[in-house]
Amino acid sequence: MFSRWNWVACGFYLMLNICSSDASGGLVQSCGYIIPESPVLALGSNFTALCILNESCLDFGNIYANQIIWKIKNRLVPKEQYREINRTVSSVTFNDTSSLATPLTCNILADGQIEQNIYGITVTVGLAPEKPKNLSCIVHQMSKLTYVMTCTWNPGRHTFLDTQFRLRYSWPQEVFPDCIPKDVNNSCTITDIQFFVNTEIWVEAANALGKAESDPLVLDPVDIVKPLSPQNVLVSSGILPTVLKLSWENWVSDALMRLKFNIRYRIVGDTNWMEVPSEDTASPRTSFSVQGLRPCTEYVFSIRCMKEDGVGYWSDWSEEKTGITTEDKPSKGPSIWRIIDASRSPAFWTVHLMWKALKPFEANGVVLQYEVTVRDKSSLSSPLKKYNVTSTNHTLQLPNGTYEVTVIARNSVGASPPSVLLIPASNSKAPVKNLRTLPKHDKLWVGWTAPNSYVLKYVIEWCLVSSSSDCIIEWKIAQGDVQGIDLKGIKPFKCYLITVYPLYADGQGSGQSVMAYLKQDRPSKGPTVQTKKVGKAEAVLTWNHLTVDEQNGFIRNYTILYKTIDGNETAVTVDPSKTEYTLSSLTSDTLYTVRMMASTDNGSRSGPDFTFTTQKFGKGEIEAIVVPVCLAFLLIVLLGVLFCFNKRDLIKKHIWPIVPDPSKSNIAQWSPQVPAKHNFNSKDQMYPEGSFTDVSVVEIEADDKKSFSEQDLKPFDLLKKEKSTSEGHSSGIGGSSCMSSPRQSVSDSDEGETTQNTSSTVQYSTVVLNGYRDQTPVQVFSRSESTQPLLDSEERSEDHAGGADSTAQRQQYFRQNGGQDETNTDRPCFERIKQNACADEGDLVGFVQLQISGQSSQPLGLGMEKNTQEAALSNVFQTCTEGQTVRPQAVEENPLSVDEMPKSYLPQTVRQGGYMPQ
Amino acid sequence: MAAAESPSAALRRRDLCSRGIRLAGKMRADVVDLLDAYVERQGLDASASVAAVEGVPPAAVERWDEQTGTQRLLENLAAYRAFRALLAQMLEEQREQLGEADTGLGRALAAVLLQVSAFAYHLEELLRLESRGIPGEEGDGPPPPPRLSLFEQKLRGLGVLRELAQWAVRSARDLRQLAKPSLATDAATSLAESP
Repeated sequence: MFSRWNWVACGFYLMLNICSSDASGGLVQSCGYIIPESPVLALGSNFTALCILNESCLDFGNIYANQIIWKIKNRLVPKEQYREINRTVSSVTFNDTSSLATPLTCNILADGQIEQNIYGITVTVGLAPEKPKNLSCIVHQMSKLTYVMTCTWNPGRHTFLDTQFRLRYSWPQEVFPDCIPKDVNNSCTITDIQFFVNTEIWVEAANALGKAESDPLVLDPVDIVKPLSPQNVLVSSGILPTVLKLSWENWVSDALMRLKFNIRYRIVGDTNWMEVPSEDTASPRTSFSVQGLRPCTEYVFSIRCMKEDGVGYWSDWSEEKTGITTEDKPSKGPSIWRIIDASRSPAFWTVHLMWKALKPFEANGVVLQYEVTVRDKSSLSSPLKKYNVTSTNHTLQLPNGTYEVTVIARNSVGASPPSVLLIPASNSKAPVKNLRTLPKHDKLWVGWTAPNSYVLKYVIEWCLVSSSSDCIIEWKIAQGDVQGIDLKGIKPFKCYLITVYPLYADGQGSGQSVMAYLKQDRPSKGPTVQTKKVGKAEAVLTWNHLTVDEQNGFIRNYTILYKTIDGNETAVTVDPSKTEYTLSSLTSDTLYTVRMMASTDNGSRSGPDFTFTTQKFGKGEIEAIVVPVCLAFLLIVLLGVLFCFNKRDLIKKHIWPIVPDPSKSNIAQWSPQVPAKHNFNSKDQMYPEGSFTDVSVVEIEADDKKSFSEQDLKPFDLLKKEKSTSEGHSSGIGGSSCMSSPRQSVSDSDEGETTQNTSSTVQYSTVVLNGYRDQTPVQVFSRSESTQPLLDSEERSEDHAGGADSTAQRQQYFRQNGGQDETNTDRPCFERIKQNACADEGDLVGFVQLQISGQSSQPLGLGMEKNTQEAALSNVFQTCTEGQTVRPQAVEENPLSVDEMPKSYLPQTVRQGGYMPQ
Repeated sequence: MAAAESPSAALRRRDLCSRGIRLAGKMRADVVDLLDAYVERQGLDASASVAAVEGVPPAAVERWDEQTGTQRLLENLAAYRAFRALLAQMLEEQREQLGEADTGLGRALAAVLLQVSAFAYHLEELLRLESRGIPGEEGDGPPPPPRLSLFEQKLRGLGVLRELAQWAVRSARDLRQLAKPSLATDAATSLAESP
């Protein structure tokens, strides 16, 4: 308890001491202090500080050195760095001052817990200044009498300390005030300098850690002067057109130093300066005449100066001044050339004279006009023709001949020497040889081998060849001793036509031409290829040449690339002059893709793909197949025709059966007594009521022929003959019946049949017109050969004329019934009928049903009927009656009873148990 | 002696002579300019005649061309030492009279004073090259002039500047003579023979 109060008292005492000042003026005395007080330390060095406690604190507060702790910026210094020197002194040591920070404080732990600050110091760490290096000085002239000397140096590394730099200079017997730089540490300007005395100059750098001096610089300031540039430069024209006089003022007095000068000049607009030889201006002066200038040319001048002996610095260039030289007469005549247009008439030329405007250095002034003189050399008496032209071309209409054209350029001072061009009647002289070109950077060099004769000049013409514009000729004249020139302004990737003419003293050589490119590129597009002709194994390809604008270079070759869909690409190189090529060894009936590539020296470019398919058959193959087939077909047709011709009677019989002419029928033949004689009397007996008084059934079987004996067929042949003989009685309606419908055909067959079956059978010729395709068929009964009493009286009279012969015929017809099937051998006709029957299925539904009910479930058809063929043949009449199988044909032709038969000419259909009108 | 002169010494001598000549020329030009400014500033008549300045050897001498090099150097050194003292006095008087108001004239005086000092240094160096001892300055230079009136001070200043201008011309001529190798030899010989 006591101890706690004791430490509290100590702490209070310490606070009083710390907060007090010295006894003389302060309130409280400090308990200790640190040595050294705020030191400046070299970076990286070691450092030891001592904290010394006051004795008074020891006695009152029981504070001793072993209780001292050191801190750097509130960070505790490890106790390994402490050392207790005695009971009042503690030291701390830092091996490297770079670990130091500000402040470094000495603290004490009162009662082992309460930390009290005793003292603190500021530690400054830095570097000593390095020796300044690279000291150099220059004296600038500020005005006519004012010179300042500026010295610069390299201050060296950063010291982290306040470092003073001083520029010092002195004479051996006199020391001048130091020059202290402001705001910088690497330069200083001395305003009070004296020339002609060697002055020692050096730099001194100093800070808290040391001082360093640069190596001294000993010099006479006059040797490092950069004078002011000459002032008030004037340029005046001299008497001569090639001279301009410059005058100026110097700022530097001769007493200080003698000057030499540089004079530079250039033509206005030109960027390159020319200089007057330095030896011409190596002495003091205030004027100079620049010679060798171009007349009538504006020049820009500038001057600078320095000490005559060359020691020191050049001044800046003076401001630029311009001057214009006076005019002089043109130094040379213009280059002249011509283009002769003889297209209108070979005997009369249109001569386009053209000449180059003189360059400024040749014109020596403003060319006011050109004087053109034309002399006809072929006739001495012809007068000179003179023209004053202000442009650079002139067109003359001249008869074919030899002319000498002279052009003179004239300015305000005088005339140029004349330029002469000889225009011969023909260019009969030797041309140049071995004309060639060679690209050289952005120029195109044109070279040639001179002819054997002496050549005055060469004219080089060139023009850009384009498909979209005319060839605009440019030209140039080269002297006769050269064998090559550079053409400028040549565009890359463009084709140029270059022509060289040699000009002789007495004539002109013919031109030699060459086409050239400055630079080639690959074509801008590829050729578009297409086929001209495609065969089985070959294809003829055609294409158009690329235009000259598209070529971008010389086309060295074309490459045709073709392939099948899944095949490898095949390349064929083609000469560039060709526009057609035949691909051979192709696979037939194969799709090929072909494209074409045009190549220059610098690359290739392909055109669009084109596809074609080779033919399946080669040339003549189809003909080889088709012609024999056609011939065979024709042969078959011919044979068929011959066959038909031979069998025309049979065919006619089936196609155009003889339709009995009702007008020839005899009413007596179908009188009631006649049927009584017929074999079919039993029918009447079976159907006394007359519902089915007379039904004849004819079954037409294609194969029934087999079942018929020859004996049976004989009567049929007779019948055929009968029919043929009775052809004249058949009506046209009957002829169309076979062609129109099966029903008709059947009817036709039945017609003969029914006429055979019984003399009392009503013979009909029923014409049933099927509708065309989907059209509703119109059924018309057109004719009947019936002798039944339904007919009108007038018909009876006609029928009556038939005579009794018909009875025998009918008998034969009946016999012919079996032979009717034999007629089925005429298959085309019957098959066609069957097809039509199928087509008219709707019309026949009723028949089918009737047949099924009687005998078989098979569909209606000849096949079904075939099954019952024999029965049908043997029991024709029974079948018709007992079986009660109602055949359509029979139904149609079923003779109605007289009572029930409508007195109509309309067709009638009989169904089982009655008959229905159709 | 000349043969014994090392090339570097000869070079040094030629350099000193050259610089001295140019310094003399510059000094004369500056003094002439200063004279104009001084006359104008002090309100004097440029044509006013001034008595010879005491303590300054006259620039004009008889048989100038017969003088040896050393004689020339010594006379020049004596004269310029005198000018240095006189100009320093003038500068002091100038400051007393005009204060800081006329810094231009004061700077020009100071510049001429520096040139005079520099020229004296040149002469001393040349004398060293001649292997001659440099005569010591007599005390603090010429005896202090009696107290003069302001006008007399101005006139004396005018006389100093005029004499300095003449000396500058003569000094240049003297150094040109010294720069000639034969004369340099003569000077060396005469110096060797002199007691």
